Parts: sequence; C-alpha cells; structure tokens
Amino acid sequence: MPVHVELFGIPRQRAGLKELDVEANNLRSLFVELGRAIPQLVGVCLEDDGQLKPGYLANLNGRAFVTDTETRLDDGDSILILSADAGG
Amino acid sequence: MPTAPPGYHGRYLRVDLSARSAAVVSIPADVLRRYIGGSGLGTWILLQETADGIDPLSAAAPVLFVFSPLVGSPLTTSAKFAVMGKSPLTERINDSLSSSHFAIAGKKTGYDALLIVGAAEEPTCLVIEPHGASFESAEEAWGKSSRDAASILADRLGKGFRFAAIGPAGENLVRYATVSHDGRHAGRGGMGAVLGSKKLKAVAVRGDRATPYHDLDGLLALSKSLSQKSFGPATAKYRELGTAGNLLAFNRLAVLPTRNFQTSSFDGAAALAPEAMTLTHERTRASCAACTIGCEHIYHRHDNASGVRMEYENLFALGPLCGIDDPEAVLTASALCDELGMDTISAGGTIAFAMECAERGYLDVPTLRFGSGEAVLETLEQIGARRDVGDLLADGSRIAAERIGHDTADFAPHVKGLELPGYEPRALQAMALGFAVGTRGADHNRSGAYEVDFSAEFDRLNAGAEVVEPAIETEDRAVLLDSLILCKFLRGVLVNYHAELAEMLNLVTGFGVTADELRVASRRIVTAKKWYNMKQGWTPSEDVLPARFLAQPLPQDAGPSGGAVLTRERLNELVAAYNLARGWDREGWVPAEQLRELGIE
Repeated sequence: MPVHVELFGIPRQRAGLKELDVEANNLRSLFVELGRAIPQLVGVCLEDDGQLKPGYLANLNGRAFVTDTETRLDDGDSILILSADAGG
Repeated sequence: MPTAPPGYHGRYLRVDLSARSAAVVSIPADVLRRYIGGSGLGTWILLQETADGIDPLSAAAPVLFVFSPLVGSPLTTSAKFAVMGKSPLTERINDSLSSSHFAIAGKKTGYDALLIVGAAEEPTCLVIEPHGASFESAEEAWGKSSRDAASILADRLGKGFRFAAIGPAGENLVRYATVSHDGRHAGRGGMGAVLGSKKLKAVAVRGDRATPYHDLDGLLALSKSLSQKSFGPATAKYRELGTAGNLLAFNRLAVLPTRNFQTSSFDGAAALAPEAMTLTHERTRASCAACTIGCEHIYHRHDNASGVRMEYENLFALGPLCGIDDPEAVLTASALCDELGMDTISAGGTIAFAMECAERGYLDVPTLRFGSGEAVLETLEQIGARRDVGDLLADGSRIAAERIGHDTADFAPHVKGLELPGYEPRALQAMALGFAVGTRGADHNRSGAYEVDFSAEFDRLNAGAEVVEPAIETEDRAVLLDSLILCKFLRGVLVNYHAELAEMLNLVTGFGVTADELRVASRRIVTAKKWYNMKQGWTPSEDVLPARFLAQPLPQDAGPSGGAVLTRERLNELVAAYNLARGWDREGWVPAEQLRELGIE
C-alpha cells in the first residue's frame, strides 16, 4: 500500500526531493523501499538493513515518533524523516 | 599565591569602575575543580559577590566575564566565555555564552574571570591586560554599534586587543541588550543593559599569559580525533543548513510558534526556510573561533553587501512569531538587532506580544499588525532608542504587560521575564517543564528537554512524570558543557558523554575527575544557580508558564498538534516531580542539607 514519505533537512538535501510515495506495510519495509528508490540515502539516514541511522528519527503522521521497525503502516499514512537533533 | 591547576590562572580580577581600581582575588583550587569554569565558576563568584536583592542596574551590581579551563586549548569549539550577572529582564541569575577570539584573548590576560562593579561617570572602555586594568574614554564610541565602537577603540588602543561592546540598546538600558564581540553576541538576559548602566561601552582584552596543560600530547591527540568526528554526519545538518534547518520540520510537526503563540504552524514558513533562501539569497558560511563544525550561515540581503547570520531562533522570532513571511524583512530585522545590540528572541517575542495587544485594542499603535515587516523594523528602532512605544517595549513583555493591563499578562510570552524561544510548549510538553523551571527563564540552551519530546519513548502531546528524569538529564548535560565550556553541537559526536568530557578536562587540568564526579558537578551547579535565585527573591510561583499555554488548547487546525492541551494542574505536577527528583522540596526550595552536601555554602 502506498505510504507517503516526507524528507526534512539532510535527507531532503541528499535526495534532491522533499516527498515521495513508497509501497510498504511496516516501517522496516518502508526503509528498505526508500533505500531502493533513493539509493543516495543509504549511508546517510538509512542503514542497509532496513533501519534508520543514529541521529535520525521517523515520525508517523506528524504526531508520534516511531522506532519499532515492525510498526504497521496503513494506506495514506505519512512518515516524516528528520534529524534527531532539534537544537537551535 | 598558591599554584593554580593547569588550565587555570587561579584568580579573577575585581574591577571597580567607580573607584577606577582593580584587585586580584584568588580562587581556591577546590572551587575550580567543583565548579569547573564558565557558568559553574561564574555562579560561584556571583554567590560571593552579589548582595541579596540587588538592583541589577545599580552601580553595585556585578557583571562578570568568565573563561574556562578549555579556552585556548586545541579542543574544537572551546573558544567560549560566559557573561554573567543578575538579569535586568528576569531579576534572576543570567549566563549568556558566546564564542569568539575575545575568549582566547581574555583568558590570556591572566585571569579566569573579570568581575566588574561600580559605574563610570563618563562612557568608558575598560582595558584589561596582564598588569591589570586601565580606564579609557569611550566618548567617541558612545551611540555607535558594537562593531563601530570596537573599530574606533581599536584604532586608539593599538594592535592585539579584542573587544566586547554594547550597542545603542545597551546604552539605553533595553533590558534585553546584548554584549557583542567579533560580530557575535552574548545574547540573552540583557547583560548589555548592565554594562550600559555602568557607562561601560566596551571591555578590551589583550595578553600573553598562557596556561599549561597537564598532558599536552594526549590533549593534541584527543583534539585531533574530536575535530575529525566533528566533521561527521552528526553535525552535517548544522554545516549544510544551519540551525535554521529546523524550520520546515518544526512547521510540519506544528511546533513552530506563530503570531505570538496563537498557533503553531505558519503558512509562510517555506519562503523563510534555508532550503528556499539559498536559492534566493547569496549565502556564505563561517565558524566561530577554534571551531571545526562551522554552523554559521550568513545570508546577504539584496540591497546590502553585508551579511546577516541566520539562526533558527532569530528566524522564528522575527518571522513566524510576528507573522512575517518576507525573507528580506527578517534578514533586515536581524541585522538591525545586531546593529542596535538586542537579543533577537526577546525583541521578536516582545514585538509579537505588542502586535497582539494592538490588534486587540489594548495598545494604540495602528501600524503594529502581524505580518507587517515595516512595523517590525520601525518598532526595533524605537526600542533601541527607547522612543515612543519602544520605551514600553524595551522592558520586555512581562513589564510591558504589567503596564498595559487588561488580560495581557496571560499572553505575554515569557517565563521569569525571559521571552520563550521557538518551541511551542503545548506541543512539546517536556520542553514546557524545562521552560518553567529554568533558572534564567524560558530557555532552550539551559534545558534540552525538546530532545525528550523528539523521542519515540515519550508522548510530546501528553507528558507525564516519565519525562522528568530525562528532562533533568538534558539540563545537567547542558550545564556541564556550559561550564567546561564547549559547544552543544558536539552532543551528537560524544558517545560516552561524561567519560569523554572527563577525559578532556583531565588532559587539560590533571584533576583526575571521573564521569560520576562530573555528574555531581552538574547537579551542584544547577543547584547553585537555584540557590542564587532564592537569595534574590525567587518564589515557587515563578516556575510556571503564562496562562495562554495552560488555559487555551492549540487551535484544532494547528496540524498534527491541533487541540494540544497542557493544563495548569499537569504542569504543576511535572514541576513538583522535577523538584522532588532534584532532592528539593515539592515547591522547589533547596534544603540546607543539600547545599552542605554539594558544598555550595
């Protein structure tokens, strides 16, 4: 099912785009598919085994931050990927 | 005089501007070990030197420039110092930290701190060199920006001096005036007004007194490794986008304070973000002295070759908070704050508050409307000169609300008088706690509790007692960096936080401190700051947020934070849990027994 991915900060810089849709039913499959769609994110914010790299966060629909890669995703969900360091 | 530990001079210089005299004061070695430097050492000195209940703008009030054991070392980001005293904005302890060659030159004068009391009769530049203090006229620099003042005084004094100076806002006792140096600012809490009250336009430092290192080879090796790590992915955001890189993510999460905290997302955010501004404006990058991270992003206005440092905080405060979506207006307003010598957060927060007052009919200034860049610029000029409505707003939103009356105190955006930075507390509720209990008021550099909110372990919209310990941990970690002093952007680089910082301190000083000793030092310094505030009149009723945040939910249309509620009861419970976790009583009074245990008095 299509899940909307929104990129912020360095992931957006490296990807050269701010959003895309990927087919995924949980967080792990989303990270894998995202790495396939945008290989330049692997090694930046994505590990090559379906995990986020330290220093980055995933957020579900703008509300909860999520780390459990088994987190179920539904059609129409949005995953935001952003830097964990929010200091200004 | 006893030998000081490596990294220290073991003394501070106490200057009396009224008597035009100076005296050297020894600092016991055990004090240096227990309070380290920067904010910690400064708090200890202020406790010795400040009368209870003192007027911060009186001649007797001390202002303090504090260095640290790491200043001048090859450790990246260590060229820092703290400007401290009782804030005229909050009437509580204030420590404004900044970075520049002033820190390195200041420490080379041969003192770990410069304490200034008294007041000059005429505009003065205080000159500090290893042999002591001298007093130069600053008449021709009075009325000038800090940059122009430093240039005038440098021409007169000769080579090798570094200057910290105030602009017109400091001279006019704007309660959020900065102390500026090399284009950078000790920004928060109005220490510039304290200098202004003393007719102290500038402090010039020059010296050749280096301090030895306990283990130079080890320090060089560690410094090289730290610098290499500081180039890595943990700091890429700061290098490539700067702190302004927060803007779009904060807006998407709806935690971006907008129109005086009436909502938390801003339609015009995209135009202000660095991702867009790099396409519309020439940008250059820069670093603080002795820094390898290089987070500074300087944007050049279309009509002016001079650049403006753009950080998330000045962007938020002079942009969305005032309803401004024009990048040129925000850049010009930031440049004007630099020129006048004013804290951008408090300036933006106070103007946004005034805009809401005017729109509600409580302030008769028809031009003050959200979204008007012209109004922001005109009001900044008026504040810097204390002219027209600027005289009212120069005292900050808390005092302005007291004078305007009606229900305006409910939406004056401050804690203890210090205007909130760019984190919406109803949608970042661990940060709300950090703001409420902060000893210098609402501040994102003293509490990093937003890290707790930006975590999968906690619910940023519904914080409970579980956030208290991690929020305290961020505060303790921050005060340690502020005492060593190192930049907080190194946080992501450190894996074993306390152990690595202990190693740095030990290589410089030879103290042999452990990670646990540094944890205790953090608690000691936080508690000492609280003790200072208690001696200056703190009461538990100060540890709260304005009524807006506790009575009004965020609007339902505020994106994913829509409808967020933080009740007064919940915040009170969080504050009580915080106080108890610190070993204080439920209201926040520090027991005498703890003061003794920590060696505070």
